[in-house]
Amino acid sequence: MDEKFRSRRLSRRDFLRWGGILLGAAAGARFLPTRLLNPATVAEAAPLVHSTLAGPSRRLTDEEAAFLLTDPPANLHLAATDGWIYLPPIAIPPYHPDDLAPPPFNGYIFGFRNVTGLTLAQAMAFKGQAEHPAPLFWLDQVDPNNPNDMFVLQLSNLGFVQRPDLTDPHTVHFHGFRHPIPFFDGEPFSTLGVPIGRSFKYIFRPRDPGTYMYHCHAEDTEHVHMGMAGAVFVRPAQNGNTLLYPSGKYAYNDGDGSTGYDREFAIILTEFWAEAHWTDSHIQLPEWTDYNPNFYMMNGRVYPDTLVPNGTRNPDSTLTPPAGRPELERQPLSTLIQANAGERILLRLANLGYRDQSLTLAGLKMHVVGKDATLLRNGTTDISYETNTVSLGPGESVDAIVIAPGVTSLTRYPLYSRNYARVNNGGVSGVGGQVTEVHIYPAGTLAPQTQPNELFEP
Amino acid sequence: MTTRLRQALYGLLMLALLVGIGPASGTPVAVAQTARSSGIVCTTNPSATFTLTTRTGYINLPDGNTLYMWGYSEGNKPFQHPGPVLCVNEGDTVTIVLHNTLPEDVSIIFPGQSNVLANGAPAQPQFDAGGHLVSLTNVAAKNNGSVTYSFVADQPGTYLYMSGTNPQIQVQMGLFGALVVRPAMGANYAYNRAETEFNPDFEYIVLLSEIDPLLHLAVEAGQTYDVTQYRARYFMINGRSFPDTIAPNYASWVPNQPYSALVRIRPRDPVDNPLPALVRYLGVGPEIYPFHPHGNNGEIIARDGRVLAGPAAEDTSFEKFSIPVGPGQTWDALVWWEDRDHYDPVLNPVPVTPPNEQNAAFGPWYSGSPYLGRQEALPPGTITYNQCGEYYFMAHNHNLAQLVAWGVVNSGQITWTRIDPPLPNTCP
Repeated sequence: MDEKFRSRRLSRRDFLRWGGILLGAAAGARFLPTRLLNPATVAEAAPLVHSTLAGPSRRLTDEEAAFLLTDPPANLHLAATDGWIYLPPIAIPPYHPDDLAPPPFNGYIFGFRNVTGLTLAQAMAFKGQAEHPAPLFWLDQVDPNNPNDMFVLQLSNLGFVQRPDLTDPHTVHFHGFRHPIPFFDGEPFSTLGVPIGRSFKYIFRPRDPGTYMYHCHAEDTEHVHMGMAGAVFVRPAQNGNTLLYPSGKYAYNDGDGSTGYDREFAIILTEFWAEAHWTDSHIQLPEWTDYNPNFYMMNGRVYPDTLVPNGTRNPDSTLTPPAGRPELERQPLSTLIQANAGERILLRLANLGYRDQSLTLAGLKMHVVGKDATLLRNGTTDISYETNTVSLGPGESVDAIVIAPGVTSLTRYPLYSRNYARVNNGGVSGVGGQVTEVHIYPAGTLAPQTQPNELFEP
Repeated sequence: MTTRLRQALYGLLMLALLVGIGPASGTPVAVAQTARSSGIVCTTNPSATFTLTTRTGYINLPDGNTLYMWGYSEGNKPFQHPGPVLCVNEGDTVTIVLHNTLPEDVSIIFPGQSNVLANGAPAQPQFDAGGHLVSLTNVAAKNNGSVTYSFVADQPGTYLYMSGTNPQIQVQMGLFGALVVRPAMGANYAYNRAETEFNPDFEYIVLLSEIDPLLHLAVEAGQTYDVTQYRARYFMINGRSFPDTIAPNYASWVPNQPYSALVRIRPRDPVDNPLPALVRYLGVGPEIYPFHPHGNNGEIIARDGRVLAGPAAEDTSFEKFSIPVGPGQTWDALVWWEDRDHYDPVLNPVPVTPPNEQNAAFGPWYSGSPYLGRQEALPPGTITYNQCGEYYFMAHNHNLAQLVAWGVVNSGQITWTRIDPPLPNTCP
């Protein structure tokens, strides 16, 4: 897909160059014929997102022409809206379960929905159906010398169903991205936010592999906690080199295969303070300095739902929930970790909650090779380390490699918050919250992973 | 001496310094530099001798509240918050005379310094008759007592100083400040290593603290306060809360909070601006503040006043995008921003059309243009604080529940990293 995308981009840029010349030649012309601006190379690209440009016989205004020339199709289209999720129906009166929630859901969120391939108008069908956490996505490190090598993220603001009075703009802030321009940094005070019914395209040219996160930065205290937060990572240019590690997959451009891995699992840590979510659905405001979460989540779920398989995103952007769990439709991302004996597992951990977290992997060592999208190596000095517990504060990320031991039958290892008060659901006794499991199978049991967090029926 | 007269004399002294006359011979006088609108304001003294006097006063908060505070002030100056940034040189024998005007005993501890003396003898924790600890170090007695501390500043770096007496009240009330020890290699280095060189025009303090207003009300009323009920409502950088954090040094509307937290740099350029900025982070509050600068990671070169180097002097510094500044910790970060994509309105336009006013909600610091150094028309009625097409990147605590001022959101521990266009520019 990526190669296809790059060739497409090249065509568009080539056309831009030619278009500029043609525009120069046609200086003074009020209108330009559509055919000059809509050649086959562009038509082959993903569907243009602005339906106002449809109609081959119509002449374009200058503004529309400029828009078409300079508006690339999106690799990823995210729709910002509100919605509902499911958490264990522990009674936290009056906040949880939320009395306004449509069954089978019980918690109110703001969030993003993956609507890639849809126009803004088509995406409107998903207003009020945010998913949680924000969709996981990943990018390839670009060639800095190729200006056509880029990732285009379209953000559309659909507005809220439950809170039509809130006319907040939204943004996408790529947290930790090095050397952006503010225009693409998604911090709305310094540039702009996207109002309801509008789209904006962020251009990312990542040079630095590693695990990052992203979130809305408008009214961030509220929007991030309400769920507009997810993980994103950048794959290194070294990927595909099977000489350093057989899989050809690496966390970083390590030059020696030390960050090679067979399977990868991204986990975003977040929190759910029922009072904040309930006050938002009930047109009220919490006092944020009273912050006191009831649920500590991994990929937007709490144990034991963290082990439920992934949901499915269909080509029309609908979501098929995990079998038998319709209430998890909007929480499609599992946190179950699987591997065959002897394989290397890359854990991509990121924290967008508001509390410091420590995760312990009982029985296995984690080799921390990266933090905050930085290979833990300075020159030739290796500063990586082994541990059984990683700590990460809000906004921090950790890349840790776990070597699956040589088991001969399924063996389970829990990965859990070492703050035991967070290993429960809503204060009820019993295991819940930020807990998941690493399942190691005998060699050859599981098929090779083709994308992050992919799971298999053994 | 009246305050007004004292301020007038101080102003004359500053003027004399700015025109290069320098202090008169005789008793050395500590002075503060005021030349820059943001950036570190060092209080220095030729013999590294400082008098710190405890004062009471009020600070302004962005929700309109004012709060009663205690503070250390230099010499006879009025109350300020936080205490002065004391800058000394490696090897200096630093002398600090603490004069206490408060109705309870007060002291100063100097974490990271060795062999601190109090009145010429080794500074010691203080115990009551029953053998219970009552102070982490020798005190200046209440109601006009004094004590003189001294130590040799033998390790360059960034340090805190703060009260060691009844600290759960006194540090919360504001008895703290920053101490900078400049290395023998020179003031353009953070430490005695070549890779810690920075542009001395771009040196900044980010001192993180927080306030429980009910504790302050209790102290002001002479009441006791159960600190197990502590709950912070305000979160501060250099004693200010956003948007006051970005106001200039000595801004008139926060008269007792002199220190700006605006970080202001220019794009890194191998010819015109090759050196990074230095940001010194200090944590005074009771928890870890995960401080996240947008725009670029910080290169962490030191923690707690010790440069990051291995046993064979190898460089073990590293980059981070969320810097967990813990209680009592300091972190030093080299900071820079590069114009990596070289976007230019003619030669290399951004690949999207900048949206017009119907299609965007413009922020108050936006220039109207994606391009550094350009300003474009904004819709009528749009507020802009943008001065010369400069860029702004937010730098903030990523515990977002702390980006508030007791119910007011978009406040607390937020500041900007301002990127001015390359020189020559039209920026004021």
